[in-house]
Amino acid sequence: MATDSKLRVLDPTGQPTIVQQGMARRPDTLDGAVVGLLANHKLNSEPLLEAIYDVLSERFELGGRVAVNKGDASRPAAPEVLDGIAKEVDVIITANGD
Amino acid sequence: MTEMPFTSDAIEVDDALQAIELYAERGWTDGLPIVPPTEGLVAQFVEALNVSPDAVLGVEPTKGAVITAEKAAINAVMAGCKPEYMPVLAAAIDAITDSEFGLHGISVSTMGSAVLLIVNGPIASDLGMNSGVSVFGPGNRANASIGRAIRLIIINVLGTRAGELDKATIGHPGKYAWCIAENEELSPWEPAHVTRGQSEGSSAVTVVPGLGPFQVGQHHDDNPERILDAFIDAMFAMGPLMKDALIVLCPEHIEHFRTAGWAKAQVGQYLHENASRSVAEWEFAGRPVAGNDPDGTELVSALVSPESLITVVAGGGGGAWSQIIPTWTHGRAARVVTKPVTV
Repeated sequence: MATDSKLRVLDPTGQPTIVQQGMARRPDTLDGAVVGLLANHKLNSEPLLEAIYDVLSERFELGGRVAVNKGDASRPAAPEVLDGIAKEVDVIITANGD
Repeated sequence: MTEMPFTSDAIEVDDALQAIELYAERGWTDGLPIVPPTEGLVAQFVEALNVSPDAVLGVEPTKGAVITAEKAAINAVMAGCKPEYMPVLAAAIDAITDSEFGLHGISVSTMGSAVLLIVNGPIASDLGMNSGVSVFGPGNRANASIGRAIRLIIINVLGTRAGELDKATIGHPGKYAWCIAENEELSPWEPAHVTRGQSEGSSAVTVVPGLGPFQVGQHHDDNPERILDAFIDAMFAMGPLMKDALIVLCPEHIEHFRTAGWAKAQVGQYLHENASRSVAEWEFAGRPVAGNDPDGTELVSALVSPESLITVVAGGGGGAWSQIIPTWTHGRAARVVTKPVTV
């Protein structure tokens, strides 16, 4: 309520929902690692990931690749997409190729 | 009156003008002056919903931002709403936070879409909403302030400000306010919300992730086919295979459909069939059909199906000006959503 002639007005902003996430364990080497390539559905996300994979291939003896496109750039990947690729790969790279 | 248990920080100011300046300085507006949301006013707006201030009206699915009755009420006061608008605003919040609507994407995208609200049912006339002359223009308090309240909620509660999270390349004038009522009185057909599954006699809000509207004039013909033919070039400019698109037919056009005895569904059927061109023509126009041979001769429509066209009647009696409004990503990542108004 107002005190004297002053006005009390309210903050219209919302507080962000923050969830603490731990960092994934970093491997000592990519030699032998199966690499996941998670594209975000933007036009150049797959070419960008393929280019990154090619660079990594020159530096490490990779164990293979699994490419997935999450299919919608504006939403998080579906849990089943993440669960599926997590079972198949040792590391994963994601990219926004707009 | 018992004081309402608000959780928002309260700020003491000398007067309304100081509040207006303070809110502008803090980036809490759309650039226009706001009505200072005093505790007393906000309490009236929450009471209009008959809920507690911490009642959740919607949760934005991607970021998890919670829109409480308190935050909705604060932003509604700021937008210039009246307390009796709150049920419409609550239904609109329910609709924009539906995961189908894709609120985060449409609000931040370079493609720059805005939220168009279409209000149907008795609540629209109860609130004195405009469905007639200059329906998309200024002058009606409910249309203007309900549309503005949704934008202020997106700015303040979701934190989606232009230049920060909102990266629209050229933006959209509907991001100030974009809210109409359907002109049910002049329509020969069932209202849009009934076509979309709501019960007859109910009130509802339909939210559209709308891109820039295209105004189509056709003053020279009075048969529905020729009127709709005038939309086809506009639809070719929008691109192939739209899952959702809105056509807003004005009363003068509608009268010709009524005279000819057209059913509502025929509008979508006609445009689905006739707004078609070959894959090669789409390619030449810079609107490629994904996954097809660019030289292909098969016909592809601007609409995925006849039902992809959502038909609404609105506007004033003079002039034969209607509109077609495409939607963000052509409905691939955000759909039109309708929710009931609970009074």
